[in-house]
Amino acid sequence: MSEMLKQVKNAILAYDAEMAANLGRKAIEEKVDLVSVTNAATEALKEVGDSYNCGDAWLPDLIGASNAMTGLMSVIEDELKREGKQREPVGTVVIGTVYGDIHSIGKDMVAALAVAEGFRVIDLGVDVKVDSFMEAIRKNKPEILAMSALLTTTAPEQGRVIKMLKDEGLREKVKVVVGGGPITADFARSMGADGYEPTAPMGVKLFKKLLGKGE
Amino acid sequence: MAKTGFIRNFKPLEILTEEEVESITRGTLEVLQETGVRIEHEKALKLLESNGCIVKRDENRVRIPPGLVEECLRKCPSSFNIKARDPKDNVIIGGNTTYFKNSCGMQTIDLDTKEPKVPTRKDNYDAIKVLDSLENLHVLGPYSAYFGFEGVAPVMAIPESCAGKIRNSTKVQIEGYANDSEIFQIQMAKAVGAEILQQILCSSPLTWYREGIDALYRAVEAGFPVTIIGGQVLGGTAPVTIAGALVTNNAEIIVPMVIAQLIKPGTRVLAADFIFPMNMRSGAPTFGAIGCSLHLVAFNQIWRRYGIPRYNATCGYSSSKSMDLQSGYEKAIQGVLASTSGANLIGLHGAVSAELTFHPVQAIMDDDVAGMIGRLLRGVSVNEETLALEVINRVGPVPGHYVAEDHTRKYWKTEHFLPKASDQLTYPEWIATGKKTAFSYARERMEKILVDHKPKPLTPSQEKEVEKILEEARKHYKNQGKL
Repeated sequence: MSEMLKQVKNAILAYDAEMAANLGRKAIEEKVDLVSVTNAATEALKEVGDSYNCGDAWLPDLIGASNAMTGLMSVIEDELKREGKQREPVGTVVIGTVYGDIHSIGKDMVAALAVAEGFRVIDLGVDVKVDSFMEAIRKNKPEILAMSALLTTTAPEQGRVIKMLKDEGLREKVKVVVGGGPITADFARSMGADGYEPTAPMGVKLFKKLLGKGE
Repeated sequence: MAKTGFIRNFKPLEILTEEEVESITRGTLEVLQETGVRIEHEKALKLLESNGCIVKRDENRVRIPPGLVEECLRKCPSSFNIKARDPKDNVIIGGNTTYFKNSCGMQTIDLDTKEPKVPTRKDNYDAIKVLDSLENLHVLGPYSAYFGFEGVAPVMAIPESCAGKIRNSTKVQIEGYANDSEIFQIQMAKAVGAEILQQILCSSPLTWYREGIDALYRAVEAGFPVTIIGGQVLGGTAPVTIAGALVTNNAEIIVPMVIAQLIKPGTRVLAADFIFPMNMRSGAPTFGAIGCSLHLVAFNQIWRRYGIPRYNATCGYSSSKSMDLQSGYEKAIQGVLASTSGANLIGLHGAVSAELTFHPVQAIMDDDVAGMIGRLLRGVSVNEETLALEVINRVGPVPGHYVAEDHTRKYWKTEHFLPKASDQLTYPEWIATGKKTAFSYARERMEKILVDHKPKPLTPSQEKEVEKILEEARKHYKNQGKL
């Protein structure tokens, strides 16, 4: 492994998004093969993931590594696209906290872990209106729509999005996963969601399972 | 005549030095002034702005000057009465007094399969009857005993649970809020001559939503007391360090206190501690963690200095999924530390598996823990009578003994606590009586309470009024398309 690739790997393992982004820029300048840069970073991400699975690493580690990966990819993604070497994601996830709700932590954890698992993640942020979800789904054609709500009063908003998906003929094109404090499996079913999990790591496992890529 | 609760007769446990308390309170003032908080409530923003706060409209961010914070904290009473439906159940919150309240759960438990199940109206009412009967439980918690029950639409869960408590108990109650439910709970409490301790909850970090501030306004305008909860997950919605979490938690709690004192000076407020370290594997809160206890001991020390009463809400929650050893030790450790460090109200009774389930059998076992803590707080009485020198002299060495002494008969029941459900048998007795555990005794006690205990009923006109308010709530939500 070249010095540059080692540095990329170390930046991910040090959870340093800024360093990862700088290395991305340097790699473009020095015309280093960006696919091998991506692979080195993915390898580091996998190491952290394996470490989490055997109990040595924890959520802050997973999220740190994932954010470093995002830092790198934000710099090199466009260049990869131009070169026609875009990496094939496991799948695409559109994610957001529903309208009326500004809670972000659960949604952010799921988004970060999904990146770590190789998903392309379109994060719409918080307080996302039904129309914004629809627009993002039409534009990005995701396999997964993930919605979060932390208030009993905003939880039903997830059901409104699902209803709109049906009305617009998009329901069959996307798997809907819901989560958040007041959500239960029964409530998720009653809204017509495809799945619910109580924690971020379980949620991302569910994404893979729904795509037939689970363990 | 109010319930006296338990009186702590010794110095409270302190975990911080005076300098550390200073650093934390100074940090809180700095956060309120420099970082500020987000408040999604136009009326509150205007009120704060007109009282010298800097309000940044585009992000609803408010920065509160230290002078205003301290002025408002001084206006909060250091102790206050809360009116119950029956005056014998009034409580006086503050000082060195400790009361207990129950926690609540989403569902009940099938005692045979030990699986969660949806409670019926009867389950809910029976649970409240049991809580009404427990002598070491003084205040009913919000949503009690369950977050809702069969046949009740989610939007009616709080009004129905509030009515259930009013109908089946004379004790003071706390109530939550959702969908403007406080409008109806305030009416119901007034209809029976009681008050409600209104609970409001922050959305950490440093954010207050409209609903919580609406509930605050309504409670304050009704002249009711309010308990204010930060509700943080350390490492998630608050700094992971106990000191950092105290800084932001206290800032979050102070904001509605400032608003309350600006609306109506002297409003009764209770600072509530409800924080959990984040489980760094799942991202969920870690119930029953020692971090909760460390935080609440420091919290109580700081809020005693502010001179504002303290409520510790975490003590009733355990990460254990059943009524077992872990549930017992996690609750007991927190309860002991909360009470000895100066909590005025402690949530302890009834919850199983964090907030997932509640069961009256657990509440009965927890009532023994509350009784033990109550006895602990009373401390050791030292006087001529309790020193017993005269009796010691009379009994002398073996074959003398104390069992037949008047002194023993006079003092044994008050010096020592008699639990109702704990197994205190000798081993042979235990074998002979069918190897019963605390759980079996508690279950038997529950069955007996349900037969024998008759809570004081509402008068026919009070019942009519409560039902009328519930009907108005149903109409209100139907008109909004929520029912």
